[in-house]
Amino acid sequence: MPITSLIIRYRVAIILAATLIVACIWVPGFASLSTASLGLDRGATIGIIAIGLTVLLIAGQIDLSGGAVFALSGIVAIGLQPSIGIWPAAFVGILAGAACGVVNGLLSVVFKVNSLVATLATMLIFRAIAHWITNSQPVAGVDIMFSLAMAKIYLDLFTVRSGLFLIALVLLHFWLTRTVSGRNLFAVGSNATAAESSGIAANVVLFFSFVFASTLAGLAGVLQSLTANTGSPVFGEDLTVMVIAAVVVGGTRLEGGRGSALGTLGGVLTIASLTTAMEFQSVPAYIQQVVTGLILILLVVLDRAVRRQSYSHAATISQS
Amino acid sequence: MTDTSLPMQKTANSRYNRGSRIFDVLSRAGLLIAILAVFIYGAISSNVFFTTGNLVNVLTSMAIIGIVVVGMTFVLVVGSLADLSVPATIAGGAILSLALQPVVGPVPAFALAVGFAGACGLVNGLLVGYVGINPIIATLGVGTVVLGIVQAAVGGVIVYGNDPAVAALVKGRVLGVPVIVLVFVVVAIIGHFVLSRSFWGRWTMATGGNYKAAEASAVPVRAVKAGAFVISGLCAGLSGGLLGLTLQSARPEVGAGYEFASITAVVVGGISILGGLGSIPRAIAGLVFVQTLTNVMVLQGVRTPIQGFVLGLLIAVAVALDVALRKRGV
Repeated sequence: MPITSLIIRYRVAIILAATLIVACIWVPGFASLSTASLGLDRGATIGIIAIGLTVLLIAGQIDLSGGAVFALSGIVAIGLQPSIGIWPAAFVGILAGAACGVVNGLLSVVFKVNSLVATLATMLIFRAIAHWITNSQPVAGVDIMFSLAMAKIYLDLFTVRSGLFLIALVLLHFWLTRTVSGRNLFAVGSNATAAESSGIAANVVLFFSFVFASTLAGLAGVLQSLTANTGSPVFGEDLTVMVIAAVVVGGTRLEGGRGSALGTLGGVLTIASLTTAMEFQSVPAYIQQVVTGLILILLVVLDRAVRRQSYSHAATISQS
Repeated sequence: MTDTSLPMQKTANSRYNRGSRIFDVLSRAGLLIAILAVFIYGAISSNVFFTTGNLVNVLTSMAIIGIVVVGMTFVLVVGSLADLSVPATIAGGAILSLALQPVVGPVPAFALAVGFAGACGLVNGLLVGYVGINPIIATLGVGTVVLGIVQAAVGGVIVYGNDPAVAALVKGRVLGVPVIVLVFVVVAIIGHFVLSRSFWGRWTMATGGNYKAAEASAVPVRAVKAGAFVISGLCAGLSGGLLGLTLQSARPEVGAGYEFASITAVVVGGISILGGLGSIPRAIAGLVFVQTLTNVMVLQGVRTPIQGFVLGLLIAVAVALDVALRKRGV
């Protein structure tokens, strides 16, 4: 029994290690610093959105509109470059992400629409706006040198966004484990009514979780667009499944109340190394989809199975 | 014990009934007026709207989505939010019904395609009903996997049909009505009777209305939940097969957008996202409204993204209204 509980406790690390070992054996030349840098850069996009989603999932809500916000913010950041300059445009792009979060928060918290359905609708709306303002054409940025600087690798390992991702992750870790507001988040996620009775403004926490998630999706979109020097309305279409997979692999529960920054890091690195390894072996994109989808389903099923064993009967019933 | 619980039950119950009755009248009359308004506006603003050609086009595209809507209604009524694997199962139905034609003949190919979609629905159903996974996550994951498998099976290319006779049959008309529309009418009638007149429909409503109460009343809740997804899968597969035969070509993206179109129709029809209420005619009324509105927008030259924007807005408003009306009991 202690061994199984150890396995369950460190399952994220075990899954990550297994993925890395398999990738190293399967893909020649996988174990190198340049691969690590590439994988980390790829993971950073998923990871920054995943940080926002981790917070939202802990609060017991979900956001499916992340991919659309990702595209929209990137377009705003690139499209405004000629008129107000690169830095202000990037800032406005992130603000656009936050604004999307306000819409999600209003629908879900104020109008009490189930967050899955609300963000499904806003996903459609934000994506439509992205197509609308760009005429469904990609937008080009003004300064190619800037995007080269974004893609530059520092210390042989980090790009700007992978560095930002890691910093954000450390901040998230401290926020979730060391601060009162972080603890309140868990309280709201496990039982919003109980949290409300103990003096936590549950709705405010929920609202700002939505804003936080969309702001980070916006940040990821702005970074991606700056790196690619392009904003496109089709960016981020397959991101939703990947980000949810990454967060769920990291042990955050869809029902709220559980999750950690380190788990999300593990999940993001697992997904990033998987996709990088598959791309090195020129596995077609649709097979990659199958693998990502299967991992998502398997882990969610596993999570249910583990919980059925370790929690009381009553807890299981209340989930249905 | 009974003293405290009874009044609470009573108020909850009467609120629920009163709310839903008023909502019923509101949504039914409101929707009919809205449909009428769109028709009148269409007739005034465009001289193409009331031509036979345009109406047949609207009817045909409505029929393809409508078959999906029938299945989606079951998923919503059983309280499982939505089936997001619809684009994948439609693509599966379309691709298989064309790709298998040379191998096993057109009719078995069609049957296999619909069967495959039903099997995907079964996987969704097992995950949601028996394992207890969040339906959106389960169907999103299954959809991704299914689409990948279908693409891998045909090598990620566009599949073309090679049997003009079958294509002609599907595109043909009986007494001036397109065959696809007839198929849709049959599916809708069967769906309506199953949902409103059969034991399965009563179980579906009971499971969606109050899962625990239904379970306590010996309704096989898990099977009913799973069944809703099987129905949705079969409908999507049927719709996909017909779509593939009509177009005589199938891309993996052929089903994209159908999930939202059908969800929009169902929620605009006044069927609660919270489950337990709803009927096929209402869903179809929602469908008629959304489709004619889209048609009028197209005729007016409104660009596609704006149409998507309007659809998203319709979902959000319809669901928010539903929640508000049910919560306050109006």
